[in-house]
Amino acid sequence: MQRRTVLKIIALSALSTQLDVLSAMLPPTQSGERAAWEAGNYKLQFFTEAENELMDQLMEMIIPADNHSGGAHAANVSLFADWVVSNGCNIANADLFANSSISSDLQKSEWRKGLQLFKEEAAKSSTADILTRAAAGEANPQTDLEHFFVTLKQMTVVGYYCSEVGIHQELEYQGNIVLPEFPECAHSNAVASEMKIEESRTDTK
Amino acid sequence: MGNQPQEFDVCIVGSGAAGGFMAKELCEGGAKVIMLEGGKEVDPVDLLSHKWPYELPYANLRREKQAYFYQGDVATSIRYETQAHVHVDRARVLGGRTMHWNAVTLRYAPQDFREWSLAGIEDDWPLTYEELAPYYDRVEQIIGVCGNEDGLDILPGGNHYLPPLPWRCSEHILKRATDSLNIPLISVRKAVLTKPYDDRPACHHCGHCMDGCDATAIFSSPNCTLPKAAVTGNFTLRQNALAREILVDREGLARAVSFVDTNTQKTEEVKARIVVLCCATVESARLLLNSVSPQHPAGLGNSSGVVGRYLHGHINAPVQVYLKELQGTKPINQDGATDHVYIPRFDYRDSHRGYAGGYAFQVNYDSYMFPRHARLMKGYGADFKREVRTMQPGYLVLLGVGKSLAVNQNYVSVDKNQVDAYGIPIPVVHFQFVENDMLVWQGMIKGLRQIVSKLSGDVFFNQSTSPSGLASHEVGTVRMGKNPKTSALNSFCQSHDVKNLFVTDGSCFTTSSEKNPTLTIMALSMRSAEYIIKQRKLGVI
Repeated sequence: MQRRTVLKIIALSALSTQLDVLSAMLPPTQSGERAAWEAGNYKLQFFTEAENELMDQLMEMIIPADNHSGGAHAANVSLFADWVVSNGCNIANADLFANSSISSDLQKSEWRKGLQLFKEEAAKSSTADILTRAAAGEANPQTDLEHFFVTLKQMTVVGYYCSEVGIHQELEYQGNIVLPEFPECAHSNAVASEMKIEESRTDTK
Repeated sequence: MGNQPQEFDVCIVGSGAAGGFMAKELCEGGAKVIMLEGGKEVDPVDLLSHKWPYELPYANLRREKQAYFYQGDVATSIRYETQAHVHVDRARVLGGRTMHWNAVTLRYAPQDFREWSLAGIEDDWPLTYEELAPYYDRVEQIIGVCGNEDGLDILPGGNHYLPPLPWRCSEHILKRATDSLNIPLISVRKAVLTKPYDDRPACHHCGHCMDGCDATAIFSSPNCTLPKAAVTGNFTLRQNALAREILVDREGLARAVSFVDTNTQKTEEVKARIVVLCCATVESARLLLNSVSPQHPAGLGNSSGVVGRYLHGHINAPVQVYLKELQGTKPINQDGATDHVYIPRFDYRDSHRGYAGGYAFQVNYDSYMFPRHARLMKGYGADFKREVRTMQPGYLVLLGVGKSLAVNQNYVSVDKNQVDAYGIPIPVVHFQFVENDMLVWQGMIKGLRQIVSKLSGDVFFNQSTSPSGLASHEVGTVRMGKNPKTSALNSFCQSHDVKNLFVTDGSCFTTSSEKNPTLTIMALSMRSAEYIIKQRKLGVI
């Protein structure tokens, strides 16, 4: 059945019980296609294996796995970064109405320099300590390391929350589905009821 | 092309909101119409609106979902000579920007047509709200608009709306805040179907309005007005036909439109007795300025010198709030149809506000998929991750939409020395915000702070020190007016100089208000079409 016909049937059916049957007729919104870095056989385009390993480690520290969901490693964010940097994409476009005053893109050579800084510092401190120092100036970065942290973190955030792990496991995002009726806000009904109860208590005092 | 006439009654250039209504009305009125559209059709079932970022080649970082709406080199064949943070939106696709819009559909108020009379600034329109009201009524009934007649002078309405969209939890909470400030918060009016209408299904609340509506529940000209034109048998559509210039006869009247077939790269010509431009603000001005002849040395219909001038649009300022009351709650599907509510202009009540015009607020105008606060919050690690997750259900965003002034110094020109892929001189945008714009922007931020002060949550204001625009609502470059020395069109969008030339897209606006312009564009097109039909019957044009 053509998708357009299915959509029409869903729209003309008011009952939610019918919805479940009809929803099953629609092709799933997850099409099985995958972007290059998620495809399972990704080959690095820009970063070396050693650089990718360091990126993966740092990104996992920025967004780690926990009891709730996988972290940046599980979400292949370092591979995402390789793809984005090698193709010159603007990560600000992750948000259609992004605040473009956030500066988050570095030239390719700057990425290399930033990772090199971490490698050099690693001779004196642990990676965790270096990251702590790099992050300390996040609000007002001054040093090369601090500037690099801002960009590294932005890349991690965008890569993670655009991934299957970030969207579905971590945030449990419920949208992007076909929904013939928009659910009423149960929360506001509960709050309104509480407010009415409080008002009536106040009135009786 | 079959048995097509050698000369059409009307050639319409552009297939968006204006062009669609112009085609429908003229065809239903018996005219033989050809429409030239620079782009080509996208079947709704081919849209990428439901794709996940990880299913797209660049996670949508190259705007893959919207690539269909910007065909050819339209996005790059433009130059900006400005320090201001502005952008104009030039779609190139059958349907124009009706293929990807939030569909907010608002009438201008009577005062919006009278800026000179009321504030002594800018100019009055050459028509009144009362003259346009019947066309607002008819357009709303044709396209299907959900919402209410709210009884607000600042936002007049009709009495024929589809049921409004249900409110989200965040919007109920917002209402408590706005009520405490005596600021109205209403159900938004949108060209989104909340029940089946006009053989189109109701919205399926996927939250991807701006990526294109595969359900056809959002009005677009390909799903509504163009089929109505086609069914008359009077409508011919030529896609991939990029208008290059309008050709004139010895008397200086429009006689044909020269266009480039973007498939073959060949230049062709279509003859018509009347030409109507519906290409949107930048493109209509560009086409006129590129249509130079001995009879029109400054561009077609430009004896006044105003074609291209008075470019203006909307100023924006957003704020994101993560409501404490909803933080940590179980994630629910909040996407809906993007905007469900709207805060109409309320600053007009302050007679000491110190600026002309004002602002309103769109609410929750985008999807909830990407956690915007994650890019703004400081910190990292387990605590950061947990905080992002906890905050996300509390998301509420308000976008200030403010009036910018129509001033002669802001304009679109063409550069004859720089051409696009088809050899057509490109448009150049010259724009600076003026003092009144800055004051509106500052007033808008003050209004946002006022509302946010009554909400409990984590707040993220845009840290920019200057406004941005034009919110895809640019207007004004072929303005209408009573005086042919200071305007290009009369109140029927007819060129003062060229009586068989009409321009009915946003470029015809004399001034802007804080309201989204598309409904007014469609109403003006319908009114202009009615005038054309009458004038043709009388043999005047």
